[in-house]
Amino acid sequence: MNRRDFLKGLVGTSYVVLSGSSVLAPLNALAASGAKASDGWLTTGSHFGAFKMKRKNGVIDQVIPFDRDKYPTDMINGVKGLVYNPSRVRYPMVRLDFLLKGHKSDTSQRGDFRFVRVTWDKALSLFKDSLDEVQTKYGPSGLHAGQTGWRATGQLHSSTSHMQRAVGMHGNFVKKVGDYSTGAGQTILPYILGSTEVYAQGTSWPLILENSKTIILWSNDPYKNLQVGWNAETHESYAYLAELKEKVAKGEIRVISIDPVVTKTQQYLGCEQLYVNPQTDVALMLGIAHEMVAKNLHDTKFIEGYSLGFDRFLPYIQGETDGVEKTPEWAAEITGVSAEIIRDLAKVMTKSRTQMLMGWCIQRQQHGEQPYWMAAVLATMIGQIGLPGGGISYGHHYSSIGVPSSGAAAPGAFPRNLDEDQKPLFNSNDFKGTSSTIPVARWIDAILEPGKTIDSNGSKVTFPDIKMMVFSGNNPWNHHQDRNRMKQAFQKLECVVTIDMNWTATCRFSDIVLPACTTFERNDIDVYGSYANRGVLAMQKMVEPLYESLSDFEIFTRFARIMGKEKEYTRGMTEREWLNKLYTDCKNANAGKFEMPEFDEFWKQGYVHFGEGKPWTRHAAFREDPEINPLGTPSGLIEIFSRKIAQYQYDDCPGHPTWMEKSERSHGGPGSDKFPVWMQSCHPDKRLHSQMCESEQYRETYTVNGREPVYLNPNDAKKRGIKAGDVVRVFNDRGQLLAGAVVSNNFPKGVIRIHEGAWYGPVGEDGSKEGGAEIGALCSYGDPNTLTQDIGTSKLAQACSAYTCLVEFEKYQGKVPRVSSFSGPVEIAL
Amino acid sequence: MSTETANPVNQARSTIYQLLSSLFAKEIDHKTLHELTSTQAQAFWSQLAAEASFKADVDVLVAEFAKLNSDKALLELAADYCGLFLVGTKNSASPYASLYLTDTPVAKGDEPLLFGEQHQQMTQFLKQSQLQVQSEFPEPADHLAVILAYVAHINMHCSNQQQLEFIRDNLANWLATFVAKVAKVDTGNFYIALAQLTLAWVNSDLEWLESED
Repeated sequence: MNRRDFLKGLVGTSYVVLSGSSVLAPLNALAASGAKASDGWLTTGSHFGAFKMKRKNGVIDQVIPFDRDKYPTDMINGVKGLVYNPSRVRYPMVRLDFLLKGHKSDTSQRGDFRFVRVTWDKALSLFKDSLDEVQTKYGPSGLHAGQTGWRATGQLHSSTSHMQRAVGMHGNFVKKVGDYSTGAGQTILPYILGSTEVYAQGTSWPLILENSKTIILWSNDPYKNLQVGWNAETHESYAYLAELKEKVAKGEIRVISIDPVVTKTQQYLGCEQLYVNPQTDVALMLGIAHEMVAKNLHDTKFIEGYSLGFDRFLPYIQGETDGVEKTPEWAAEITGVSAEIIRDLAKVMTKSRTQMLMGWCIQRQQHGEQPYWMAAVLATMIGQIGLPGGGISYGHHYSSIGVPSSGAAAPGAFPRNLDEDQKPLFNSNDFKGTSSTIPVARWIDAILEPGKTIDSNGSKVTFPDIKMMVFSGNNPWNHHQDRNRMKQAFQKLECVVTIDMNWTATCRFSDIVLPACTTFERNDIDVYGSYANRGVLAMQKMVEPLYESLSDFEIFTRFARIMGKEKEYTRGMTEREWLNKLYTDCKNANAGKFEMPEFDEFWKQGYVHFGEGKPWTRHAAFREDPEINPLGTPSGLIEIFSRKIAQYQYDDCPGHPTWMEKSERSHGGPGSDKFPVWMQSCHPDKRLHSQMCESEQYRETYTVNGREPVYLNPNDAKKRGIKAGDVVRVFNDRGQLLAGAVVSNNFPKGVIRIHEGAWYGPVGEDGSKEGGAEIGALCSYGDPNTLTQDIGTSKLAQACSAYTCLVEFEKYQGKVPRVSSFSGPVEIAL
Repeated sequence: MSTETANPVNQARSTIYQLLSSLFAKEIDHKTLHELTSTQAQAFWSQLAAEASFKADVDVLVAEFAKLNSDKALLELAADYCGLFLVGTKNSASPYASLYLTDTPVAKGDEPLLFGEQHQQMTQFLKQSQLQVQSEFPEPADHLAVILAYVAHINMHCSNQQQLEFIRDNLANWLATFVAKVAKVDTGNFYIALAQLTLAWVNSDLEWLESED
């Protein structure tokens, strides 16, 4: 048959095969007129910075820093890759077996399964049905909707607020206390210094630069970490770091980085490094304290006037309580720092104005409370707390802390809780004798061992029997420890709901996945300059939400509608009305102090600037008069010995700072005979935790062989036959991962680094197949939490201990599997 | 552009492009299945199978239709669709032209962003024809379903030469790579057959257009 005859034969049969409508429609009038009104530059912002974006032909074309951001991070180059990412969650989706069997589905499939697309109405109904089922069958202790994280910036669309208000309108649920970043620090420091300190504004950089003679960066890498901020970051701290660099060069300020590795900050400043064995900082501090006492370098007057309990601590230093005198020689043995250097440090720190700047890493380890407590004791012994350029800070690497605050009021947020007169649909508060709030990092314990009672910060916590979890703008399959243990726990859950913009591992281990749009697809409002509170930013919508994604406000407004509570939820206001309200409330709060235009004018301008702030010294008021301005501790003074903590009688957190051996420690410590290498998994240089790891082209700028870099000491690498660029298998008894070797002298013998936030991409145990729901799966990309230990820091904070982690590594000999982290859900071949 | 080309043959070609577009645009539901298996549709499929290069794939499709006799079966097929076309790009066969027209190998993970150059190009084509992508179909314009639907449109409104050029430069230049990806990652039979049928149809249509010159 010739083709023409064939086609003619089709004529009769093919007129109406499908009656459905086409994916094409007539061009609407606006688009037809070629209207380009919507193209042009708009203002917006994110954790990575405030910036301007150019919209061209309806898509984001260019991203450049905000005029007032003089030190933008190059992560700005990854922003477009977040929006137009191939791994976007494009439609509401439900895991097929969950759709078919609901709470009786085969949960061992989570992680390598089949999803189907459903309508928003269907997805939200399933979500509500699941909540109904859990509240009816188990009550509020069956639901954990309190695991929240870094979300995206914006006060109106904050994913945490929306999810918790909406789910809270349905019923009560288990919540968390603390966070993964500073869990130990924020728990111990209120006992010692009267506040969490980690999230408090610190002494202003200009005063530090003017007055400090010595700056101790203790396990602290501000040059790396200040690239991102909790609000729209404008990176003002970098101007001060630049000044500090000059002063270091001129010999005006001595900066000592106490750290096992050569940090990015150390390289930038050109400052000194004092190497210390990993996890031994407390021993080093005790050795310094011993020397201060021995040489009478400590400020006894300050100790007497401003602190409590030095007399209970001194016998420990002198070995009277445990028979071990904490001499510099004793410390040298543990820390790898010579006694001579320890003696010198004691002298240096006490002879002139010394500012201690603590990083957060050292409290993310077993007994992570101790280094923070002991550092506060050292600062007390130095006696400069409350003086400009002296004392101690736990936050100068975070969100513009140390940049003088404008003093203006910031805009409020969409409410996270129910309004006072509102009641949830399921109003039970019966947690069946279990705890309604659990330490943030202990939720996997709770799922695995419901009913178990643990100590926690002076009370008892009994784990609720969690059956369902809801996550929004949060990726615990990044930040929690020990993936294989997480898999066991997730198999016990009946339902997992995740709301996110891209297919994170958390989405992949869920049953219902709902697509949220990115920050750039909605209107919002936020502070810029983070702690400096430099101004208010209009976050102007760049493009309409892609695919079927929705803003958080819209997602949960629809959810509230299904509950019959839409008006209660929104208070009857639209997105625009909320923006106006949040802004106008802020304007009213600043009336008479800071000029702010009306909302419409502000929106047109894109921002309102509050101006510079005044330099300020942390704890100065306390120093001036500790009776009138006491600390928030039980005594109002710095507590070197805490009677309260001592009363808890915790073996892993006694009444004063104490050196305790770790369950795993390199450089001759426990377990180092089997797994000799310490793995640090600090905050990444090119991401905000796991945010932006998915941004393809930007990721390519730092990956090695398509994998997350693992930083190796040259001798360690050579010993194992590894060259730069090789694929390396890192492993211990808990798990295994592949990463790409970077060989660098910045890393000492026995220490490797893999930045946290590397997306989990399990493949079969031997790397031979896609998928990876099974226990023991190999992570194809290099997520360090495949290897970390899921234990609490102590009975006090019960915080995460990711830094207490030993591993071994080798050149990978197997067939190198494809990276599966960025592909959306992967189906395992059955 | 002219309308004189809207003869019955072009009408038939257009209907086939439109059908293929619809099958790539969304999952098969009860209503679609009913239409695809109606008496009229059966006549259509058997006529299509009369062409040797289509027969094998048409036979698979017709056999697969027969198996779609329960909600569960439809959901399984919807899961195939989802895994292939709605999530990620690396272990799936996302139906966007841009992913297959890049110079860098996909295996390297260096993929272009969506809503990029090909999307803009297709948007321009649509605009020239006074068309746009339906708001109910919130996908980039370089989605296979959009391109097929656009061919269905130009079948009726453009000269053979114009059709030939468009198909050659915007569809045939990446379709085979896409079909190979579907064949590699599809765990079922339906979408492999549909993709292969689409490729065979487009190739034969190109031949026909060339022979008509």
